[in-house]
Amino acid sequence: MEPNGAAPNGTPPPLLEMQGIGKAFGGVRALRGVDLTIRPGEVHALIGENGAGKSTLMNIMSGAIADYEGKMRLSGLEIRFSSPQGALKVGVATVFQELDLVPGLSVAHNLFLGQEPRRSGIFVDNSTMHRRAEAVLQRVGGGISPRSIVGNLRLGQQQAVAIAKALAVGEPRILILDEPTAALSTHEVERLFEIIRLLRSRGVAIVFISHRLEEISQIGDRVTVLRDGRAVATVPASTPQEQLVSLLIGESLRALFPPAGTARSEDRLTLENFSYRPRRPSPEWQAPHDINLTVRAGEIVGLVGLLGAGRTELLQVLYGTAPPGLQSGSVKVDGRPLRIGSPLAALRRGIGFVPDDRRGSGLVTTRSVTENLILADLKRLSTVGVVRAGRVRDALRWGLPRLKIKAAGADAPILSLSGGNQQKVLIGRILLRQPDLLLLDEPTRGVDIGAKAEIYHLVRSLAASGLAVLVASSELPELAGWCDRLVVLRQGRMVADLPPDTDPARVLALAADTNTTQEQQ
Amino acid sequence: MSTHPTDSGMATAEFAAAAEAPTALDDGKPPATAGARKWLQFRFLIRFQSLLGLVLVLFGGIIFSPRRNGEILFLSADNLANIVRSVSETGIIAVGMTFVIIAGGIDLSVGAVLGLSGVLVARLMIDWNYGTALAIVIVLIAGLLFGVLQGLVSNYMRIQAFIVTLAGLQLARGLARTISGDKFINISYGDGAKQAPSSFSVLGDRFFGGVLPVSALVFLGVGIIGAVMLNTTRFGRHVFAVGGNERAARLSGINVRYVKIVTFAICGLTAALSGILDAGQLAFANPDSGTGYELTAIAAVVIGGTSLFGGEGTVVGTLAGALLLGTLNNILQLNNINANLQLIVTATIIVLAAALQHLASRRRST
Repeated sequence: MEPNGAAPNGTPPPLLEMQGIGKAFGGVRALRGVDLTIRPGEVHALIGENGAGKSTLMNIMSGAIADYEGKMRLSGLEIRFSSPQGALKVGVATVFQELDLVPGLSVAHNLFLGQEPRRSGIFVDNSTMHRRAEAVLQRVGGGISPRSIVGNLRLGQQQAVAIAKALAVGEPRILILDEPTAALSTHEVERLFEIIRLLRSRGVAIVFISHRLEEISQIGDRVTVLRDGRAVATVPASTPQEQLVSLLIGESLRALFPPAGTARSEDRLTLENFSYRPRRPSPEWQAPHDINLTVRAGEIVGLVGLLGAGRTELLQVLYGTAPPGLQSGSVKVDGRPLRIGSPLAALRRGIGFVPDDRRGSGLVTTRSVTENLILADLKRLSTVGVVRAGRVRDALRWGLPRLKIKAAGADAPILSLSGGNQQKVLIGRILLRQPDLLLLDEPTRGVDIGAKAEIYHLVRSLAASGLAVLVASSELPELAGWCDRLVVLRQGRMVADLPPDTDPARVLALAADTNTTQEQQ
Repeated sequence: MSTHPTDSGMATAEFAAAAEAPTALDDGKPPATAGARKWLQFRFLIRFQSLLGLVLVLFGGIIFSPRRNGEILFLSADNLANIVRSVSETGIIAVGMTFVIIAGGIDLSVGAVLGLSGVLVARLMIDWNYGTALAIVIVLIAGLLFGVLQGLVSNYMRIQAFIVTLAGLQLARGLARTISGDKFINISYGDGAKQAPSSFSVLGDRFFGGVLPVSALVFLGVGIIGAVMLNTTRFGRHVFAVGGNERAARLSGINVRYVKIVTFAICGLTAALSGILDAGQLAFANPDSGTGYELTAIAAVVIGGTSLFGGEGTVVGTLAGALLLGTLNNILQLNNINANLQLIVTATIIVLAAALQHLASRRRST
């Protein structure tokens, strides 16, 4: 294995050059003047916080976005893709995070979907197809039968099939993998890396988008860091993690965080030896267990953990939206035991929740800003079932300035707002109910930096007036800068309760699900 | 291993730019005002597309109306009242249907429930000697419970509303034929045996100098109640939220199942009301009455700008949609145009309305 492809002298001519790439969605700038070169046979990692522009850049590279500023050259020739199919024809293949597979069809049918080998022009030539499928599958390490139904395969195997599908058309020159490890187990990640190394050894350039810094040093050759729509730096993958982290957040980002607050003495939320077991366990839903956690009034506590560590799940349990199951240990809110039931029951106990999936579980996309804002508080705003316009106006007067919501008007459609303002509406929806305990799941996902800072300050000022906040985020720097304490979850278990200025490398090591790091601590 | 020269150049440029971040913070991002405002105007048009359509059709009616001694027949009080009466039954149902569709459901059983209700009210009065008021109340409650039942089955057995109400259609039609002995029940008024109380005949009357039919009044009344309910009550907001984003509604503490079941109850109630009016106007109950009304009602709702995906729509739009269809048929009838052509015209209008809707939702998602 070549250690690194970054030696300045023996640098091969670039395979793909991107120059001054820019892209705006409506009023929101996603990319500004990004330069990027991909060399043959390298694994080039793209990292960045949510909203940094990774997926936009990937979509331009793969042909999914055809309308952008700047130039792209493939092997020295200027190109502009109009679709992923067009990119594929010249050897740029992409495996999107949402795997492009038909679950009900066999592996072979998926590999050759739309271009099945034919017999007499009409019938699918099954034997040829299976033979060719077998050959393609060998190139991703084998071990998968062309006859298996894709829906029955494990996720890691499906990922391999998706990669094989990109290879079935012909060997790509560039293979783009969009967060390929996001949903994989440690073992499956290893398998994936073997496939990547195999392809690299044959000269395929791999663009690897990831969230996990530790993976990058393991598999990458070079790393490009994106921040706020710009390519901040391209460095060797062997760059120390702390340096990558500071590139990711940028020094000035520290200024975005409000000063820390002071916790009061009252305990708002107390979990003691708390475990929750769903009646029907599923591998996608990591049940939280052995949680000992206290959140006091005035305090913001961050939930740290890798994807699938059970952060969201813990919040869901507390808010009553977890799949039905049994709890053990104790949960107390304001000193009284909490009976885990429904969102309505949680709201009545003064618990508010803002979900991570803004579009899917937050916004009523067909309605206005006002309607979205008052949705959870209609009872207080109405008399005998009739919503009182005056009280709604009062609620808007209270909410819009405090939340700093920028909209064309209170009656503007919610989707005309930027992601950050949509998020503020969702936080405002819960705040109208004046909760004592606020649960936030990825509150700044897909939110621009300005709005992020506003959300940090808003929540901090609410905490200062006595609110207790439990916030889950996949962005460690955000939690470290914003929270009063960091609680680390690993595979559903609480493993540490740390001050926010703990060395990020140590926090990440605690969160990583390998036994070796556990013993190191 | 050193950083690539060009890369480090990029890095310094970036740090310089990043230092400006706090200023960007102060004024924030300007909201997409121009686009949003343009969209608001556009949305206004979409929202009232059916009203505009109705106005256009009314003008068309005046232009193409046959005249007698210079009088425009289309505008005669009798003719206008007839238009309202002709759409009153499907129109009443369409109001209930609007609630179901905004909540993200559909109700195919309404035409059959209309037939069942007509038969039931006739048998109650004629064979079981119930008074007018009590018979009507019983039938209304039966219609409401039929809707509740469909809502319960759909929500607790997790079957799509389309399937449940398709079954409901068969069930109601089967019950109607069974109760009626599969034949027309003639309603004759009087105090004798096998006669209905004469007060029931009011439903076929016309008020205000014999111009305004009772059914038209009931239709307008139901429309007003429906519009007020949808626009001003907490329940109305809940209906929009459930249809617009069920998960968001649940997370906001809304009882989603309850809201959905109540929309089916409302729809069943309006179907029963239409069935009673149908029997009252015709002075007989036909178990097969109302066949196909569910589709006419859905057409009125769609023309009225309500999305079949749920989450948006208006009762006013539905009323206009129903009247538009009725007016159009009336114009064609006045000009002695073949009834089959009416169907073709209706088809065109449904597609046109849906196309406008699609344009609106495309606008919204960008």
